[in-house]
Amino acid sequence: MPKDIVSVPLPRKPRPVNTIVHGTRLDGRGPEEFRPIFFSTGVIPQATGSAYAELHNTKLMVGIYGPRPSDRWVGFSEEGRLDCDVKMAPFSSWQRTKWGQSPDERAMAGLLGVALEAGVQRSAFPKATVDVQCLILEAGGSELAVAIAAASLALADAGIPMRDLITSCTVSRVDNQLLLDATSDEAFQEDGGVLLAMLPSLGQVTQLLVKGEWAGSELEEAVQLSMSGCKDVDEICRQVLQEAVQPA
Amino acid sequence: MDPKGEVGGSLEADAFRKLYPHQFYANFLAKHTRPDGRALMQARPVSVTPNAVSSADSSATAKLGDSAAIAGVKLEVAVPAEESPDEGHLAVAVEMAPMSSPDVRPGRPGEAAQCLAEQVSSILASSDVIPRQQLCIEQGRACWVVYLDIIVLNADGSLLDACLLAAWAALRSLRLPSVILTADGNVEPCDDLPQTSSAAAPEGVWAGRMLQLESQPVAQSCAMMGGKLISDCTAEEERLADTIIIIIVDGRGNLLGLIKAGGTAEAGDMIMQQCIEAAKLRQQDLCRLLEDQLSAATLS
Repeated sequence: MPKDIVSVPLPRKPRPVNTIVHGTRLDGRGPEEFRPIFFSTGVIPQATGSAYAELHNTKLMVGIYGPRPSDRWVGFSEEGRLDCDVKMAPFSSWQRTKWGQSPDERAMAGLLGVALEAGVQRSAFPKATVDVQCLILEAGGSELAVAIAAASLALADAGIPMRDLITSCTVSRVDNQLLLDATSDEAFQEDGGVLLAMLPSLGQVTQLLVKGEWAGSELEEAVQLSMSGCKDVDEICRQVLQEAVQPA
Repeated sequence: MDPKGEVGGSLEADAFRKLYPHQFYANFLAKHTRPDGRALMQARPVSVTPNAVSSADSSATAKLGDSAAIAGVKLEVAVPAEESPDEGHLAVAVEMAPMSSPDVRPGRPGEAAQCLAEQVSSILASSDVIPRQQLCIEQGRACWVVYLDIIVLNADGSLLDACLLAAWAALRSLRLPSVILTADGNVEPCDDLPQTSSAAAPEGVWAGRMLQLESQPVAQSCAMMGGKLISDCTAEEERLADTIIIIIVDGRGNLLGLIKAGGTAEAGDMIMQQCIEAAKLRQQDLCRLLEDQLSAATLS
């Protein structure tokens, strides 16, 4: 295709105005329900560990390589490093994205690293790096939360020593109603949002991101809701890991 | 340990494979088989899944053994180029996902990815497999630009075969939507016209349609290893091969491309003929597989 051709996408379909009708969401869920969750491990045979996650329209893959020797420029470190990278496929959202890291991807990579670091026993691999590579195939909402859970599954699949699985979920506030596991349409309508990542068995929170204005009691309610959500995700993750090692 | 000797003693097969890969393969090839149990010209199992991602205008994943690629199409509109006012455009990009192999690092696309993009793009562009006139909305005013992005998810050899299969499956299931070309030159989406009243199309409406494609191009990778020809190589086999030969054919028996990538082994007439015959058989197999998958996807 000639370089001087400038193309534009068609105008996007308008987003739905109301995301909740009579207490049910557009996809038929109640406010405190997850989308159907599908996780699977070992999807990339060459990687040390890998996972695929699908929550309706959110689809992503995580591959783990390492621990392998850190690059020389990193310098000496008693503790191992987690090197996270997040990539959106060009066709993952309504407008085609160009190749090359966008600020969004960089921010997500940073947040993914912070959420995972607390759960990984980095002292177990000194001077080495574990690469966590996430590819978002379709961005249907709550990608970062799904990426955190999928990455922790992939780390477990790779046999990297961890203190616990790390699970995560989002809560969005739309019209004063708290919605667990928001889709992109719901997140677009939100006037406040919470992303929480935690070590579910230890009951420790590794990351809490809050957007918007919140009253104290309301925020506490949102945090409680997301913590119970994380425990649900944890149950599914553990089941997936058990099924992966048990002969069917 | 004598590297020319038999596998034996305390050295285990895995270690032998790593230390003396050529000898390891030679032992198998001498018995007309390969370490994964395949015959020399036997391909790995193939699967194609259309419509893998709903955010794309069309998409497909393809798996050849452990090699996997996903292709997605995004449509945009543009003013046609002056030299070809009745044609649209196809832009192909290939990316190796960092997770696809231990050697790929995040960042700018590497040499392998750019090479693949060039190959896929020239296969789809050089022959008349995609009639560009179909991508014209109105001559000189508006046309479709088809962005075809292919991501290699797992790189285990014969990547061109996998990328081309995924690309073709995505294009094959691509439906161009109905649009209205407004008086001031904007292209806006509109509802599909009812099938019955197609004769009375309102002014400026361009009716949506499936992209009509010619015969499916298929790539078949072969390699020469120790004087023997093997097909559909894994990444390990590609590393050890003396040379790699890729044949691209379509269903009408046309040869669309031939890539012999350097190497130390020469490939004579006999070998080339053998590769082309294998590619033709492969084209029929993959064509049948894809059509089955597509009709299954439309039925469900």
